[in-house]
Amino acid sequence: MRVNRPPYSFEIAGVNALLIRFGDQLNPNLPVYLQALRQHLLTQYGHIVAQAVPAYTTLLVDYDPRQCRMYDLQQLLERAITEVDDIAPQPESQRSIDIPVVYGGQHGPDLAYVAEQTGLSEEDVIQAHSSAEYLVYALGFAPGFSYLGTLPAELQLPRRATPRQQVPAGSVAIAGQQTAVYPQASPGGWHILGYSPIRWFDPDSEPMTPLQVGDRVRFVAIAENDIAAWKAAH
Amino acid sequence: MKEIATGFRVLKKGFFALVQDPGRFGYEHIGVTHGGPMDALAANWANRLLDNPASASVLEITAGGLELEARTNCMIALTGGDLNLTINGRPQVPWRSVWVCVGDKLKFGYPRLGFRAYLGVKGGFQVKPQLSSCATVPRDQLGGVHGNGEPLHEGDMLPVAMQHEEGIARQLPQRFMPDYSGALTIHIIPGYQQQKFSRSAWQQLLTQPFELDKRSDRMGARMQGEAITSPAIELLSEPLSYGAVQIPPDGQPIVMLNDRQTLGGYPKVGNILPLDGFALAQRQPGTRIYFKPIGLTTAQQQMRRYLRFFGL
Repeated sequence: MRVNRPPYSFEIAGVNALLIRFGDQLNPNLPVYLQALRQHLLTQYGHIVAQAVPAYTTLLVDYDPRQCRMYDLQQLLERAITEVDDIAPQPESQRSIDIPVVYGGQHGPDLAYVAEQTGLSEEDVIQAHSSAEYLVYALGFAPGFSYLGTLPAELQLPRRATPRQQVPAGSVAIAGQQTAVYPQASPGGWHILGYSPIRWFDPDSEPMTPLQVGDRVRFVAIAENDIAAWKAAH
Repeated sequence: MKEIATGFRVLKKGFFALVQDPGRFGYEHIGVTHGGPMDALAANWANRLLDNPASASVLEITAGGLELEARTNCMIALTGGDLNLTINGRPQVPWRSVWVCVGDKLKFGYPRLGFRAYLGVKGGFQVKPQLSSCATVPRDQLGGVHGNGEPLHEGDMLPVAMQHEEGIARQLPQRFMPDYSGALTIHIIPGYQQQKFSRSAWQQLLTQPFELDKRSDRMGARMQGEAITSPAIELLSEPLSYGAVQIPPDGQPIVMLNDRQTLGGYPKVGNILPLDGFALAQRQPGTRIYFKPIGLTTAQQQMRRYLRFFGL
């Protein structure tokens, strides 16, 4: 059984890295596939592949050119891709994770703006955001920052014209086709709908991030009073 | 707070100084960047002069102003940019190791040549690693003396193991010393979306001069010059490897360096030769920069020679 994935191409990415590109279109089949390919490379070809970083339609492969020349690496990757095609990673193998969110109020300063711009009520915005199921397409930008898609069409808005100097850690935000939670306080141009008490990056725990590429995610509305209870339970 | 017996006390923090080691490797898939010394060549020399392993941590002092007081006797090595270091008022030249004693005051001035000095110490600084590295990365809030990515503060103690015997003072032979003066030519290995750029844009990149912009930092070196036309393509964010040369819509190239964000969505023409990235780290804003193409095989040969030399 063959998996449904686009054809791929290789791009040089410096003296010790090669990028595998599976087309350039957002594709919900790819996160699970890239995660499977990453795992396969690290477990079966770990003596050659030092690191593999997935994002949307690409996988960056770090290697040691003293161990393996570019031509041999490409042959190895072609073989690995065929092997993963045969395993045919299934969406059923994805983890499904619920993310608690306190929407609106002091935690969601842009909820009213998003409602106004989309012509929906605040309740409808919350309903739309929390009823969709999202896919983790990439982790990056900052430790634990997870790019989730696809945002329901009725919520899609351009970024803020002027980014905020400081977006608080835990802010649940939307921009374009994407939604995400800010793992740490940082500048940001996304629209903030709420707050999530989840810890997105903890270097002292294993795994260090609650999500990985290919996971399915749902946001679950909780009340402000439930934050303490939720934190105590986790 | 518990007083650590031996090491260096920070009297003045200067512009900024960061504890660095070869960096965090293997965590880019969760968004943790690499870190490490911007001029890895100079950092490796500091450890080599002290017979340290290459993994020993060093101090990267950017643009000077740092003042330290030795609270232990130890061998140190100073490499990289000449930031007019004095020890107890006496001028010191870089690229050598020297014995310092309790109470000695190390004072970095402002750059005479180069931009970043590396201070190595026998055995390395004893800083607790996070994700198997003590490299200080402010944007990831990881590493350093405080374990939160912050640079050195006044009053900090930089721990160093006690040393009983004075080591051998060494000086790097002149022929190994890099020259940080004048314009810099950076070799670029075509890659990523290079073929999406027009032939004229690629030619323009390789012929015109650029100026190193003052907004450059440990994330990326920004170039200013006649705008390079970037292909009008919508890219989904993709992983950025060291030295990737991004051309955003404003046409001003950004060379992605040690603390780069792990993902980026701008078109890229390729990656620079890391050895040139080390040299770039020693250039002050305003330096004239040229790009020149290099083949992958030649670039890998040059890197192989460097890695073999330092036993990396």
